[in-house]
Amino acid sequence: MYEIEAKNVRKSFGSLEVLKGIDLNISKGEIVAVLGPSGSGKSTFLRSLIDLETIEEGTVKIAGEYLCKDGKYPHNKEKARILSKAGMVFQHFNLFPHMSVKKNLMCAPMLNKQGTKEEIEKLAFEMLKKVGLEDKLDVMPSTLSGGQKQRVAIARALMRDPEIILFDEPTSALDPELTGEVLNVIADLAKEGITMVIVTHEMGFAREVADRIIFMYDGVVTEDDTPEVIFNHPKNERTRAFIQSVIK
Amino acid sequence: MDLTAWILQMLTGVKLTIQLFIVTIVLSIPLGLVLTFLKMSKNTALSKVISFYILIMRGTPLLLQIFFVYFGLPFIPVVGKYLVIDDRFTAGAIAFILNYAAYFAEIFRGGILSVDKGQYEAAKVLGISDMQTRFRIVMPQMFRISLPAVANETIILLKDTALITTLGLSDLLKVTNTIVNRTTNVSAYAVAAAFYLILSYILSALFVKLEKKFDF
Ligand SMILES: Nc1ncnc2c1ncn2[C@@H]1O[C@H](COP(=O)(O)OP(=O)(O)O)[C@@H](O)[C@H]1O
Ligand SMILES: [Mg+2]
Repeated sequence: MYEIEAKNVRKSFGSLEVLKGIDLNISKGEIVAVLGPSGSGKSTFLRSLIDLETIEEGTVKIAGEYLCKDGKYPHNKEKARILSKAGMVFQHFNLFPHMSVKKNLMCAPMLNKQGTKEEIEKLAFEMLKKVGLEDKLDVMPSTLSGGQKQRVAIARALMRDPEIILFDEPTSALDPELTGEVLNVIADLAKEGITMVIVTHEMGFAREVADRIIFMYDGVVTEDDTPEVIFNHPKNERTRAFIQSVIK
Repeated sequence: MDLTAWILQMLTGVKLTIQLFIVTIVLSIPLGLVLTFLKMSKNTALSKVISFYILIMRGTPLLLQIFFVYFGLPFIPVVGKYLVIDDRFTAGAIAFILNYAAYFAEIFRGGILSVDKGQYEAAKVLGISDMQTRFRIVMPQMFRISLPAVANETIILLKDTALITTLGLSDLLKVTNTIVNRTTNVSAYAVAAAFYLILSYILSALFVKLEKKFDF
């Protein structure tokens, strides 16, 4: 059984076909980096895996259950249940600005009665510790640097003990000197058995951390291989051109 | 000219002005919020009805609406006889509430629209329900964003309360007019202006405090 299964995933925005039949299977614990030029559909695909985009055609299975079967979705409660072990980290962090760091982490578990307040509070502390920000428990997000915000967002995603985390360009909104701290946190998580799909432009990171690299171009997966093959002998012409253009 | 006597008289008017102000604020803000949600609901018929209501409330003079509620309602065919509001304060307050709710509804709608869509997405992937997202994530941010506009509207309301004079109620303006008519000394108007100014100043200061408190 795969942790994430996508079959013939198709999605259009109006007349613009963005995903043109994506097939992809990801095993439990695999770290997959998704590369490709801007506008190739990376975000749309990632968002389709967690119900932020509705696909028109195709099948998505998460941890063995159908999020979407031949373009048909179950009702909302069922979708939420199927996705209860999945999390996502966004380019722009999307922290709740009106809540302290601690409240950001505790909000969803408290609302979903994931445990007692004391348990959730303790968990929040542990998760913040994991991203190295346990001293920021009580501050507001606006006082944090971009790198710290993203680390809080990662800690928040960890609160529900996810089996899958999707990252959509987690360092693209950061100043270059702040990307390292976030990439280090992600690299540490990669060792914990969480299945991760990471859209990124950080080639060095993809090469080092990913087990596997997917290359997307114009709504299709044009290459799917180990970092070694993708970076050293890509089979596809477009992949080669892209790799060449980003590695100077 | 007996300034102390004037001020004492005017204070009775200030009391009525403040009463009308408070009743309007306390009821029009929640009503405005309800209107916002109805207007933004997926039910398009309902949304259109609310838009029409807001159009009428914002598109016609408040003074006209006050007259309509007090004098006009009983003349509506069939239901009119149940809509007689004898108490002038009640009639005036109803007009104020209905009118201001429309303004607040639009302010709140603007506030909701300016909440980043990433907030909804983050809430969704964290498993927070739509209802909880609305109340825990969107509304607090909406209030914060709306605060300056609400402050502005509130100060306009304070001055608009003077319209209630037209129903013959003894608000600050009416009391002042009576003094001027009796004494033929127009400086009473300056005293009234000072009262309005003081009240607006207190309101502004209050909102500055609120904005600081909810700054994040
Ligand atoms: N909500 C949307 N409405 C319309 N077009 C969209 C929307 N989201 C993405 N697109 C379009 O879909 C294409 C793929 O976008 P995206 O998945 O964001 O690509 P990538 O993440 O690879 O840069 C782009 O042409 C983009 O303009
Ligand atoms: Mg993208």
